[in-house]
Amino acid sequence: MLDKIDTGSAQRTARLGWTGVVRFLHLAPRAFLPMRAMEQLTLVAGKGIEGDRYMIGREEGFYSHKPEEGRQVTLFELETLIALKRDAGIELGPEEHRRNVTVEGVPLNHLVGRRFWLGETLLEATRLSIPCRHIEEITGKAIFDPLINRSGLNCRILRDGIVRVGDTVRSAA
Amino acid sequence: MRVRPITTIKTVVAAIEGAGTGIKLFTLADPDHWELPPFKPGAHIDLHLPSGLVRTYSLCNEPADNARYVIAVKREAEGRGGSRALHDEVGIGNVIGVSLPRGGLEPGAGIARHVFIAGGIGVTPFLSMARHLARTGDADFTLHLVVRQEAPLASYLAPLIDAGRIVVHYTSRGGRPDLASLVGEGGSKTLVACCGPESMIDDFERVTATWPAANVHIERFVAPPPVIDPDAKPFMLSLARTGTEIQVRAGQTMLAALQEGGIDISTSCCGGICGACKVGWLEGKPVHRDRILSPYERERYLMVCVAGSEADRLVLDL
Ligand code: FES
Repeated sequence: MLDKIDTGSAQRTARLGWTGVVRFLHLAPRAFLPMRAMEQLTLVAGKGIEGDRYMIGREEGFYSHKPEEGRQVTLFELETLIALKRDAGIELGPEEHRRNVTVEGVPLNHLVGRRFWLGETLLEATRLSIPCRHIEEITGKAIFDPLINRSGLNCRILRDGIVRVGDTVRSAA
Repeated sequence: MRVRPITTIKTVVAAIEGAGTGIKLFTLADPDHWELPPFKPGAHIDLHLPSGLVRTYSLCNEPADNARYVIAVKREAEGRGGSRALHDEVGIGNVIGVSLPRGGLEPGAGIARHVFIAGGIGVTPFLSMARHLARTGDADFTLHLVVRQEAPLASYLAPLIDAGRIVVHYTSRGGRPDLASLVGEGGSKTLVACCGPESMIDDFERVTATWPAANVHIERFVAPPPVIDPDAKPFMLSLARTGTEIQVRAGQTMLAALQEGGIDISTSCCGGICGACKVGWLEGKPVHRDRILSPYERERYLMVCVAGSEADRLVLDL
């Protein structure tokens, strides 16, 4: 079935599409430390976010012993936070999911392997993020199961720049 | 270069102050003064000392003071070495890894009146709660501190003593105070808590024996000796992730057997009260013996420092 579909073809006829917005930005310099809300983040191509624990060369994150070139910046959907509250009664703040960028209106799970603009920076999505038990330990909330399949997106930075709260997110395809 | 997993919060010793005979206050902070992971009043942390020792201490500052962890350490010359190492070897600027804070009381959960009873340095688990309640005014509290002749942390406690929130009882002058009259009448809105030497805890348990368990809290700062059942039988541990089998000898702790088998387990109190050595179990019939896991948690976890096995084989999630 799937091989019969010319992916992307609908885009040409039906004007599929999305445009999103950056709602929150967060970083932490070391594993376990609370994420701090920022008005802007500086993204460095091929490396990561200035001051963040996973910046390549810094290696101060919980998963830094498992280096990953495609984990320079991580994104999370605001819609997931809303769904957690609605469906599971769990109040999770944007500073608690431990991804760097909380976006609204961006179908993150559809973007693996694609490029998109985050403000003035260009990203390439490498893989879906996976929830970890570590986050339950840090937040004290049972969110592992509800976050399966919607735990965000890992990306590589292709073009660097500054991302600000309120910036537009759009496809680069 | 192989990077080792980061398992502790990196802190540096930012200040060390004397606080009474044989007692020092240590202030731990992030190297860049970033906020530290939050904690509840009365919570404790494990310190991973440079020598490899791991020791648990109560946090003495209040949760709103979120960029430092302050601990009070009494030098115990005859202790197990943690307090000596901190007093004699640790200096300002030293890096110390600490665990995420654990435990503590949820303030305000329908409680209008708190009575804390502390013996000597046993005052430390109540300090963050006392400061928190004094600042927020969320609930009433009195902290009774029983000492021989010198109150620990005197200057640190002075504001609360002056305000009448901490009452110091000197046994060298007035003998031991009557705990029953200190705790007063029980009730669903009163929480009483005690931390001190075993004899004080025994008295306290007697006085509060008829109280509902939810309104009584006991904090043990010295782990009681591990319980070894004289009828204990040997059993086999199977480690599900590695496929390793480890024999636990009769009377041996699971922890000791795992460590002999080269398995790295973080521990602190080794007496089933701190929570550091929690491990998941998958099959078998564990005998728990810890004092912290809830019945629900016991269905999935055990504390390897104290738990045993009723069956010949126990499968751990290791
Ligand atoms: S080491 Fe403290 S509970 Fe096991």
